[in-house]
Amino acid sequence: MKIIVAIKQVPERDAQVRIDASGKWIEEADIQYAMNESDAYALEEALQLKEKHGGEVAVLSAGPERVGTTIREALAKGADRAIHIDVDDLGQRDSLGVARLLAEAIEPESPDLVLTGLQSDDLGLGQTGVILAELLGLPHASLILQVEKTEAGLSVKRELENGWFQTIKLPLPAVLTIQSGGNKLRYATLMGIKRAKTKELRRVPAADLPIENAPTAVLEGVTLPQKQRSTQILPGTAKEAAAALVEKLKFEVRVL
Amino acid sequence: MILFSFTLAEPQHFSIAEKLLLAVLIVTSGALFWRRFGRVVDRILRSKKDPGFHLGNIGRRVWEFFSEVLCQSKVIRQRPLPGLAHAFVFWGFCAFALVTLNHIAVGFGIGFLAPDGVFGRFYFSFAAVFALACAVGILGLFVRRFLVRPRWLGDKVSYESGVIAFLIFALMATYLAAFFTTDDAPAARVLWWAHTLSLLVFLPIIPHTKHLHLVLSPATVFLSRGGFSAIPPLAGDEDFGLVAGQDLTQLVSLQAYSCVECGRCTEHCPASNTGKILNPKEIILGVRAYLNDIGPQTEEPLLGKYNSQEAVFQCTTCGSCEFQCPVGIEHLPILVGLRRGAVNTGSWEDAFGTKLFNGLERGSNALGISAAERDKFVQKQQFPIFDGTQEYCLWLGCMGGYDPKGREIVADFARVMNFLGTSYGVLRKEKCTGDPVRRLGNDLVFQQLAEANLEMLSQSKVKKIVTICPHCVRTIQEDWKAYGTPPPIEHHSEFLARFSDQLPKPSQNQEKEKIVFHDPCYLGRYRNVYDEPRTVAATAGQVIDPPRARERSFCCGAGGGLVFLGEETGKRVSHVRAQELAATGASTIGTACPFCNSMFRDALGASNQPAPQLLDIAQLVARSLPDNDRSHSA
Repeated sequence: MKIIVAIKQVPERDAQVRIDASGKWIEEADIQYAMNESDAYALEEALQLKEKHGGEVAVLSAGPERVGTTIREALAKGADRAIHIDVDDLGQRDSLGVARLLAEAIEPESPDLVLTGLQSDDLGLGQTGVILAELLGLPHASLILQVEKTEAGLSVKRELENGWFQTIKLPLPAVLTIQSGGNKLRYATLMGIKRAKTKELRRVPAADLPIENAPTAVLEGVTLPQKQRSTQILPGTAKEAAAALVEKLKFEVRVL
Repeated sequence: MILFSFTLAEPQHFSIAEKLLLAVLIVTSGALFWRRFGRVVDRILRSKKDPGFHLGNIGRRVWEFFSEVLCQSKVIRQRPLPGLAHAFVFWGFCAFALVTLNHIAVGFGIGFLAPDGVFGRFYFSFAAVFALACAVGILGLFVRRFLVRPRWLGDKVSYESGVIAFLIFALMATYLAAFFTTDDAPAARVLWWAHTLSLLVFLPIIPHTKHLHLVLSPATVFLSRGGFSAIPPLAGDEDFGLVAGQDLTQLVSLQAYSCVECGRCTEHCPASNTGKILNPKEIILGVRAYLNDIGPQTEEPLLGKYNSQEAVFQCTTCGSCEFQCPVGIEHLPILVGLRRGAVNTGSWEDAFGTKLFNGLERGSNALGISAAERDKFVQKQQFPIFDGTQEYCLWLGCMGGYDPKGREIVADFARVMNFLGTSYGVLRKEKCTGDPVRRLGNDLVFQQLAEANLEMLSQSKVKKIVTICPHCVRTIQEDWKAYGTPPPIEHHSEFLARFSDQLPKPSQNQEKEKIVFHDPCYLGRYRNVYDEPRTVAATAGQVIDPPRARERSFCCGAGGGLVFLGEETGKRVSHVRAQELAATGASTIGTACPFCNSMFRDALGASNQPAPQLLDIAQLVARSLPDNDRSHSA
């Protein structure tokens, strides 16, 4: 099975983000970057499918030069080769624009399966994967926790709300967007990093792809979340306070 | 009646037949010795060259050889009675070298030490004293091994040791008996031949048994890497640690063949003592068995048939084994080396370990908490940010920056520094030093962390570091050297001990308080710091030692990354140690490591007995500070 995994590099979980002068993006200097979490699960799923059924896993990532570190991490974890779409203005492209870049790179590969994370940790739009399926003209399923190969194609487990799951079958080739947590991620190893040096990494400048950057959705601005404290002291005896707490948890916060 | 004379009887006039027989026996014995010993030497020499090894520091090597081999210092100090018995056997052998040479020479009619000459009379009597001591010593060791049978010598009775003991005893007895006869008595000749035969039978047995240590361990002690837990660098793109026979280095092979199977390592091992499968002696013997069966320069994995991966990952890296070993075996580079082999190639699969590695690949600390929490803590405590003007960089570490109890310790230590008027600042950002991943054998993540931290420290122009965590101290000072030049660092016990006369005085009640001090492995055995924390604790109360203290201290169970690996099998190491500390009757347990503190906090909490209070040495000092009323806001 030939699998392509589209991965995105995002600011590290612990990164202290600051808004840049334009107010439309964050200061990119001094920030550490990492692989988007659900993309890491997509890669893990691809590697496990390859281990079970054979074939090849190629990773695909769009972004500036720094994306190379995340690509090498994917190669170190076991991907066979990589394609890097070299693009400096990813922040100014909408999901459709990014999906077009990815689709352009995927199409000539004619893979059996395309996997990607269900959404990015930085923008969280959750659109790229499904638009990609549309552009490639392939069936897709989103929020996938488990993938099994069957005679006819795939059987996948989707996560629904409130602890419900759905199992669906779909033919190959297909596009799946993967939810975090379905598998256990493997760790990168020294041996993997050393081996990764010899693997193929093909760079494709975005300018060479017949895609124009004409976003249909434009980012107006980004802001940091405002901190606020809203501690409430519930008065009365322990019993009364407990009853009031249950009331609030049930009807205001709706977690019970 | 046989009279005792101060003259050793030497038979004279050996016939040609006797001389021929002697020559044949010597050649046979020597050949049998070499047939086996030559193969051992060949396996050692065919092993990989040790990366980073050099024979520098001859002074240290000579001193260790003098102290540990010639004076038998470690053998005696750590097990006084059997140690002395062994030392007498050893010294007896040394004294006997000349006697033995002359003994054989006599057989060929070219004896060079006249028993009735001035030197001969002196030397043979001198050797007789040692022979007596040696005979008593070997008898004592025989009784210990076969009648007392301490469990760390193993379940199986070693019959070969019995044979060896008998031969050594025979050597001594036949020598001593020769003082009770005369040159021309037939008894002298019988004794001479009995002595010779004992010797020639003894020789070929040596390389077949653990008595190989007679020949190898002097070299092993002299050639040891030195330092403590000196983890060698990886050489080239194909070195991932100890994966297969081709990764065994000459030092590892030499050490494996030197093991005398005394079991001191096992006796002190926290894993072996709490029902885990790890037995450090068996690890070394596993490597030896591998070398015997498969040999170096092979691709057969080291973990599997000969050593188990599970055992290797039960090690807390407390270093008791390495400290105790009387023949110079460095267990930690071997144990960590086997872990490196498993982790660097991805063959170790463990949910907790993977979580730790992935967490440290992306995040900043081993506890997997957001770095923003550290920022909040720094703000709340109003710690000054290090800007190059302060004397010290106060390194918080994962425990000091994120763990509730660790934070209390750091906050109290900072208050003491304020009281002493020392200027310090904390870094805006810190990453884990990489201690847990270093000990678990993940060189990739360790390198990333060390390099990122070294970069931050050099940008911040840090000149001196002080920290509450012995693991940070060790890792920064020793392990980071592979990737740069770390600034000098000290543990807060060393810092506080320098100011011991300026520290606040305790109240009269507290002065009488009994504090039992627990030596952290990474401060004691790893750094050789035993007195400083006691000096500091003594400013706050009466310091007492638990039964196992100082270099024999028993681990808390946290080291080697194990604190992050979930539930243990068998008894919990921390419970065993906490009970030992509580049983001293002290009202306070004094600690000097935030990991020990955290382990004991949980262990004491799990016990039904009224628990002593648990305080770091910084907290012992801080509670007498004049501004104590506004403390503990961490």
